Amino acid sequence: MARTLAMFTDTSLCIGCRACQVACKQWNELEMEVPVWTGGYQNQSHFTDKTFRLVRFIEEPKPQGELAWLLMSDVCKHCADAGCLNACPTGAIYRTEHGTVNINQDLCNGCRYCVSSCPFGVVAFNEQTGTAKKCTFCNDRIHNGLGPACAKACPTESIQFGFRDELVAKAQKRVETLKGMGFKEAQLYGADSKGFLGGLNAFFLLLSKPETYNLPANPKLPGRNIVADSLLSIGSALLVGVGALLAFRSRGEKGEE
Amino acid sequence: MLKTPHWEMMIVWYFFLGGIAGGAYFTAAIADIFGEPGDKKVARIGYFIALPLVAACGLLLIADLGVPTRFLNMLRVFKFWDPMSIGAWAVGVFGIFTFLSAAMSLSGAAQVERLRRAVSLVGMFFGFFLASYTGVLLSSSALPFWSDARLMGALFLASGASTGMAAISLILFLTGGSTAAGWRKVKRADRFSMIIELVLLAVFLGLLGSAAKPIVSGHFAPLFWGGLVGVGLLIPLAIDFVGHRVKVLSAVAALLVLAGGFVLRYVVVMSIQS
Repeated sequence: MARTLAMFTDTSLCIGCRACQVACKQWNELEMEVPVWTGGYQNQSHFTDKTFRLVRFIEEPKPQGELAWLLMSDVCKHCADAGCLNACPTGAIYRTEHGTVNINQDLCNGCRYCVSSCPFGVVAFNEQTGTAKKCTFCNDRIHNGLGPACAKACPTESIQFGFRDELVAKAQKRVETLKGMGFKEAQLYGADSKGFLGGLNAFFLLLSKPETYNLPANPKLPGRNIVADSLLSIGSALLVGVGALLAFRSRGEKGEE
Repeated sequence: MLKTPHWEMMIVWYFFLGGIAGGAYFTAAIADIFGEPGDKKVARIGYFIALPLVAACGLLLIADLGVPTRFLNMLRVFKFWDPMSIGAWAVGVFGIFTFLSAAMSLSGAAQVERLRRAVSLVGMFFGFFLASYTGVLLSSSALPFWSDARLMGALFLASGASTGMAAISLILFLTGGSTAAGWRKVKRADRFSMIIELVLLAVFLGLLGSAAKPIVSGHFAPLFWGGLVGVGLLIPLAIDFVGHRVKVLSAVAALLVLAGGFVLRYVVVMSIQS
């Protein structure tokens, strides 16, 4: 496997211009959509089958009562332990040699198990193609020596592209700088490869708690309970089976009329 | 900020019919292998209930795909840790077993019977699997309630057993088999299954606590409490204990159990997706 690639989204630098969203739409030839009224500047409430990059406009209440903008360009996290990839029964969802997670559109048969398995609600179902869609990490571009379109278009380097280990080191320094500037809650989300989901290959620098950004503080792999739940099902099968066995074995009709 | 998979009525029907198919098959297999010669009719009916239902299951699953013509892609890979993958395989394999058992139950020859019992002994495990894996599939998702429900597979299995047995007893009643000992045995087995289901349901709700909100309160609550707990479990159990002398009542109870099994799948699948 080649050295793992990553995207680092530094939300402290985001100005909410949505150049990333437009670049993503153009490069990936995603159809236009009617915007959703979200009550703010955000034009879709969440990822769709045609929106792989989405700038979130979050209003955070300050202690004094006024609101502050938190801007965040959100994207598929390309988890190192990916729920969607584990769930896919056709092998359509695969990991590239660069560590990114992609959906082979020719293999996907639209069972939608990945949709219910993504802890971030990223994967979306496309009614026209009948397949699951999500950010490809610009698979065609990274295999031709280019970074993802969103990172290329970002005018403030809020979205950075590079080797994961280098980006994580850079991100950690950036957190220290921001803390020195008085951003007490500045923190990395998904940078730790020993943390949740084995680390995210698209990780973030947040200026507040993950929950403020509607991100789960501790996302879990959907498959974590399969063994326990299966054993409980086997227990139930034993109970029911023994019940049936007793009913059919008992000779004579004692206790029954 | 999670997304639901939009598994709707076709999947509800699949879960329901798959439960009956699995339950009827393993009940038939147990009656066939461990029962008396008089229980043969129970076994044959069970096998012949499972056969068309598992075929319907396969068709429902295929029809629900985004690209139905690509259903064979499920068989490109075998992921033993993935409920959707082994589920797809199991529906196919179980279909073969139901066909073999049903076909061989038409013969009375001793050699065929021996072979059928051996086949059914193996097929029985696929029946148990089909009745329960759908619950494990839901619980291994990222969605609240589904992923919080530790006993979903266990509950689906008990419900599959009770609905499968109810289907057998109903067909026995309709075909005039209600005089034989087999009918009473199926009903007794069904009573066990319903009691197990009721206990599992109580523990299921207890473990879920407030995570059970989508089904125990709000829009789906009347259906859950009235349709599943009341009509689907308590009333049939009451009929079973009180009115078992009247055969028509027993047949009504079987119908109610079937309705309860459908309601269980419906509220579980639809409550967090609507």
